[in-house]
Amino acid sequence: MQTLILFLILISTYLMTSAKRVPALVRSFQYQSFGLFLATLIEAAREGSPGLYAIAALVFILKVSLIPRVLLAVARKIKANEDLGLLINPQLSLFMALTLTYVSWIFAGQLVSSGGEGKTMLAIAFFVVLAGLFLMIFRMTALAQVIGLCVMENGLFLLAASISGGMPFFVEIAIFFDVLVSVLIMGFFVYRINRLFTHIDVDKLTRLKG
Amino acid sequence: MMPLSLVFIFGIPAALTVLGLFVRTSRPLGIAHNAGYLSVLCAAGILFKEVLFQGPCVVRDFLYVDVLSAFFILVTAVISFAASLYSTGYVKKDTGEGVISEQKARVYYTLFNLFCFSMFFCPALNNLGLLWVAVEMTTLVSAFLVGFYNKKESVEAAWKYIIICSVGIIFALLGTILFAYAYSLTGAKTLAWTDMMALAQGLDPRVLKIAFIFILVGYGTKAGLAPMHTWLPDAHSQAVAPISALLSGVLLKTAFYAILRFGMILIKAGELAYFSHLMMFFGLISLVISCGFILVQKDVKRLLAYSSIEHIGLVAVSFGLATPLAFAAGLFHVFNHAVTKAFMFFGAGNIVHAYKKRNMNSIKGVMRLLPFTGVMTLLGVFALGGFPPFSVFASEFLVLAAAFANGSYAVGGCLLLFLGLVFAAFLHHFAKMLYGHLPKGAQAQGEPLSGKAAFIFLFILMLAAGAAFAFVKEDALWITKKLFQI
Repeated sequence: MQTLILFLILISTYLMTSAKRVPALVRSFQYQSFGLFLATLIEAAREGSPGLYAIAALVFILKVSLIPRVLLAVARKIKANEDLGLLINPQLSLFMALTLTYVSWIFAGQLVSSGGEGKTMLAIAFFVVLAGLFLMIFRMTALAQVIGLCVMENGLFLLAASISGGMPFFVEIAIFFDVLVSVLIMGFFVYRINRLFTHIDVDKLTRLKG
Repeated sequence: MMPLSLVFIFGIPAALTVLGLFVRTSRPLGIAHNAGYLSVLCAAGILFKEVLFQGPCVVRDFLYVDVLSAFFILVTAVISFAASLYSTGYVKKDTGEGVISEQKARVYYTLFNLFCFSMFFCPALNNLGLLWVAVEMTTLVSAFLVGFYNKKESVEAAWKYIIICSVGIIFALLGTILFAYAYSLTGAKTLAWTDMMALAQGLDPRVLKIAFIFILVGYGTKAGLAPMHTWLPDAHSQAVAPISALLSGVLLKTAFYAILRFGMILIKAGELAYFSHLMMFFGLISLVISCGFILVQKDVKRLLAYSSIEHIGLVAVSFGLATPLAFAAGLFHVFNHAVTKAFMFFGAGNIVHAYKKRNMNSIKGVMRLLPFTGVMTLLGVFALGGFPPFSVFASEFLVLAAAFANGSYAVGGCLLLFLGLVFAAFLHHFAKMLYGHLPKGAQAQGEPLSGKAAFIFLFILMLAAGAAFAFVKEDALWITKKLFQI
């Protein structure tokens, strides 16, 4: 079961790196978050701790429903559905994502000496972080960068769960709150950029130099 | 039980935020601010004294204030008081000229309070996960203050700021998780700094080293260490002038404080050499890069922003020297740079406000147009360059002394070279601006009283701190040794 969920997360991340349109990207992000939700729920059921149930619920509310909705609403409002500002095409992106997977596998081997499920989970978590970074670097619209940041955060959530048995409860809550606020604020800025510049291509934001 | 001084430090900015929701005009708000932050400053002084003589103050598992935290809170309190004094006149002028509405002035004060509140919070937290959240909060609040004027440039700067710092700080969270992992390998599950410090021996050094790199890159982005500094000149040059002072004087230091907290764990775990090499590396890179940009800079506020990178690099180098004297000098320099740089940003703020442009080639005759600001800025240039009666001289001298005493002649030589170059560049740039003829049709102007008070307050500190340190040098060394356990 655990492996299946990890597989879901992995596939949704590949989908994200090869997505061409904003709704597709957001939907894959939703799948990924759903995978996180399932993983947390199973963990909660196994340990029977109410804290983990609460965290699972928060993952569902924030990452599966609220944040994707905010992002889609912003995209609709500024009519930026079509373009993600691909700096490199989907095929090459997918290839690079595969390379990143290998890199994370090596990195996981450095940290965890024993093999098995722990190492797989760590490698995937690290891959998700890298994939988020990849999206932020190679997708040139402001909206895609916000999604990239959320992906990185998802990866960290998984990472924390895989190696240190999750963060303490209140820290986790604080981080969730923080992520929500930052997505809202970034959405606000995307909106503002669009109004001032009439586009959201960050590679065209070149007024400040030197 | 929370000591009274801490209650004041957190309570007053929070209370002022609430007050901002009810008071309709910005003028009484400004006055309330000055009074509020003056009392915060007093409280911070008292807290520092208490912690110094009575040992760390602990509130449950939540807050932990030792000398290091109290020191950073004190620096924050000094700069936020000065910035609040300066804001009164600045905002009044902006509203008077119709640049911002009365409504927006209220928003400014509210954000100012939230920003200060989050920065007071950071050094006091015990839990490293919550420290992360607090540092991220400072970014989120201040992004609005960077994009405050809602022009193309400022929104671009705010966007770069929020994105680069958020990515950076994600790496810091990764580092924090890896630190927690290093502890979980030995069976301890904790993120509280005090617990982590107590259990610092016997950790896997490999994991700790990887984790610290992430911490340094992550919080280093926020601290303005090169090559992760790219957001800094944009944000500092576009923010409202008092906020530039806060960003440069305190925000960078808050992130640096976070690096130090993790560094302390690393040192306790017996990795002092590793810690110092990394700090030295990033510090020297920051010095080189900032020096190059300072030499060719045209925008006055960007010039000061690059100078902040230079000084944070100097602080990093002094921690890289890894001797008690260097550590003490580094901390002292944190204070001096905050005070002097805030002073300079106020000066630059007045100049930009009066001339409505930032290009140093087209600003002439500041001495005639704004006599008070002109004189103060000239003094500030000498202070920032490290001229004797001022405190930056004292701390830079101590860093150099530590370098040479340590036998790091190459590092000492590099520092001398870069500091000399930067000083020459500053004199060149500012001499062109300060002297020369008045622009046609311009009349000599005065500055608001509260603005002058901010200058004088910081000026006294700049003069006094250097002299005062001579008397407490031995004690400072002893405290640093005990604090960092080196």
